[in-house]
Order: sequence, then structure tokens, then C-alpha cells
Amino acid sequence: MALNTTFAGLTLRSPVWVGSGPASHDVNQIKLAEENGAGAVVLKTACSDAYAYMRSWPRPRYKLLDWDKQIAGRSKNFSLYSYEQGYSGSLDDYWEFIRVCKKHTVMPVIGSIFAGEAEDWGHMAQKVEESGADAIELDISSPHRPGSIGFETTFVSAIKAVVRAVRIPVLVKLGPGPDVVQQCITAEREGASAVSLCNRMRGLDVDTESQRPILHGYFGGIGGPWAKYYTMRHVAEAARAISIPISATGGVMSGEDVIKYILLGASTVQILSVILVNGWKSMKRINTEIDAYLERKGIGTLEEIRGRALKTLTDPEEIVRWSGEPLTGSRNVWR
Amino acid sequence: MSGDKPKYPGLPPLPPDFVSDYPPLAKVVEDRCIACDRCLPLCFFDALYMEDRPSHPYARVAVVVPARCTGCGLCFEACPVDAFVWVPDTAPKAIANKVVGSSAKENHESY
Repeated sequence: MALNTTFAGLTLRSPVWVGSGPASHDVNQIKLAEENGAGAVVLKTACSDAYAYMRSWPRPRYKLLDWDKQIAGRSKNFSLYSYEQGYSGSLDDYWEFIRVCKKHTVMPVIGSIFAGEAEDWGHMAQKVEESGADAIELDISSPHRPGSIGFETTFVSAIKAVVRAVRIPVLVKLGPGPDVVQQCITAEREGASAVSLCNRMRGLDVDTESQRPILHGYFGGIGGPWAKYYTMRHVAEAARAISIPISATGGVMSGEDVIKYILLGASTVQILSVILVNGWKSMKRINTEIDAYLERKGIGTLEEIRGRALKTLTDPEEIVRWSGEPLTGSRNVWR
Repeated sequence: MSGDKPKYPGLPPLPPDFVSDYPPLAKVVEDRCIACDRCLPLCFFDALYMEDRPSHPYARVAVVVPARCTGCGLCFEACPVDAFVWVPDTAPKAIANKVVGSSAKENHESY
């Protein structure tokens, strides 16, 4: 099938992955992902013991903003506002989670971790590899991460520690800013096998009735179909700057969105919100839509079109401009 | 806690008397349920199922499994007729699981 592709040494039957989150915290969901044709799955992020409190989740922790209940999952304009935290079990439970997933699935299973100290990053990465994961994603950019941990200080050492500790591919999941391109370049320089672009943003909404921030009064992770336009820009810029593969994630609702990311240079695409609002059949639908596109355009493999739109991404100097009005004159005459 | 301050702004307020002691769980008010099935795919914890209810106008209703519900709130978002309400999870295990985020603050400030 034309959807076959490779990514940092992994062989995939589809470029569409399940992103790390509420759709990948339970082995039965991994089963559903496999049945519905996912190329791979990134498991829910496990936090180090120093962040054990993040294994407990507030209630409630989700709100769909600008959500039209009447059209529900067909909505193309909504935001998923959430304060869900890390994987809810112990680390030992997480290693077992990986082992069970690997035992019962054929698609690659990617572990996801978050820690503070470089030592913890390295140790957890080792355990993820020992448990049988095919790759590891470093969630250095969660919208829920505590404090304002500096990329240059904490995370460069984290990437170094993990790259030293494991042989499986290391994906670094970056936030939508600041300076995504520079962070991609740094990740590549430190030996990362790939980058995931981008994590959700940290956002805020206010309830005007009670005049308070919504949910628990703290910032939430925010994403939705609109977020893809920001991520597409980051993917395009990164694809020009680095040679390691990019796994794009953000706002994908359809096969067309996946194609757009691939045309901008992404190798794989992670989906999540669409599964949340439309169910697991979305995975199957998106794969079918990509297949139909390739068929209609007479394209044999995804490699053929990867980055094709980048070739016509212009510089501002090359854009043809026309002045719509005389440079001076009647515009300044007050009538 | 006074009733004019909803515990979770932007979501249906919890009854004011239990929120600090018990974790909230979702529950379906069966009279309101229209058996549209929209909440089922949104529940990521397999905590919802449809049950036959011959006496009900729609013959079926959505039911929450308290042991699996994590109180995430997504079913509230799915329901077009606001059939979900919060109820306290009074199981002893649930109360024992309460986590106060003091360690969150420490970690926050150490960076």
C-alpha cells in the first residue's frame, strides 16, 4: 500500500500516528489504534518520581471551547482546553504498559517521558528501551510542565543524557515556541533522531459570569483544528533547517491535513483531538482519505511528495508587489 | 463554600457542599437522556455504556460506571441536552486518593 513509509529507522504501514495523550494511556486503546490502522502510537507521557504528583489528575480537566453540540465531531472550529497530566501509574506500571503493548501489537510503540534531572531522563529512557519500545519521545514541552524550565539549560542536558543512554531512535517533542527552528537545530546537533512539532500551547480562558479563569484557575493546554496553521509554518521552517525527520502534530482533522504536513516536509503526522471528538474510526477515515488522494494524483509513495510545497515557499523579496494607488496625491486630500 | 462561586468556572457547578471532600463523578439524569449515543465515543475511560430501559421514552439510556469514571468532564461537553450531573464519589478508595499539590509548588519554584 502506498501509505507505507519509514521514519528514523522504523518501518510504518501508515504515516499517521496516535499522539501521546488520553488516547494512549491504556493497552486497550493501543489495540484499537492498531485495529484502525495507526502507523505507530506514542504512549502517554510518564513523569519521573520527582513529578509524581502529576500522575494524579484534577476533576474535571477538559473543556471544549467554541464547541457546537449539535454538529459535534463535524465541527471544524473548536478548541480542546485541558488540564490532564501525565501517565497515572507508577514507573514500574509504565514499563509493564510498554511490554504489554509490544507483546500484542505489530506497529511500533513509542514511549514518552518527562523528568527534571538529566540522570532521571537517562535512567527512564533506558527502562523504556529495556521494556521493548521501538523509540522514545522526550516530552520537554508539555503545556502542563511545571515552572518555566529553560530549553538551553535543562533540556539540552536531557537530550544528551537520553541519546547517550539508548540505541532506539530519540524524538524530541518541541513546543510551538519560542524559536522552534533553533531548538530543532540544537536537538539535531545533540544527536536526536527526529523532532515532533509541536506540542500544544499553554492557554487560558475566562468565565465572564464568575469572572474567574475556567476549570481550576490555572493555564491549560490548548489546541484544535486552528492550531495546524501555526504548526505548518514551524514544520516548513524546520524542514529547511534540519535533516532529521519531522513528526508533525497539531490540529489534524482529515487526510488532507496530513497531506499538507507531508507536502511541507513532515515524515509522519500525529493525531489526537480528532480521535477524542470523533472516535477511533477517524484513524481509518484519515488513512482512506490519504490513499484516495495518492490514487487520484497518481502518486506511488509518500516520499514522492514529501516537502514538495517547500520548493515553492518563497522569500519576501521574491513576492511580486503592485502599488494599488498612486504613491502620493488624492489620498491625503481631506474631503 | 457559597453557592455563588462555582468551584470550576465554565463548567456546570458542583453542588457546593461536597467538592472539597469527595472527587466528582459524572452521572446521567435518566429523565433527560435522549439516547443519542454522542457521549460514548468521547469517553476515554470506557466508563459509559447504553442500557436498555423499556420504560424510558427512548427505551435506552446512557449509564456511567462509577469505578471507571475519572471525572474528566468530556461527557458534559458531548451531551446536547445537559443530562450529565456531578455526584460525589464517596468510595473510601477515592477519598484516600486525594492529592494536594504542595509538591507542585515546590517544584514550580525550584526552576
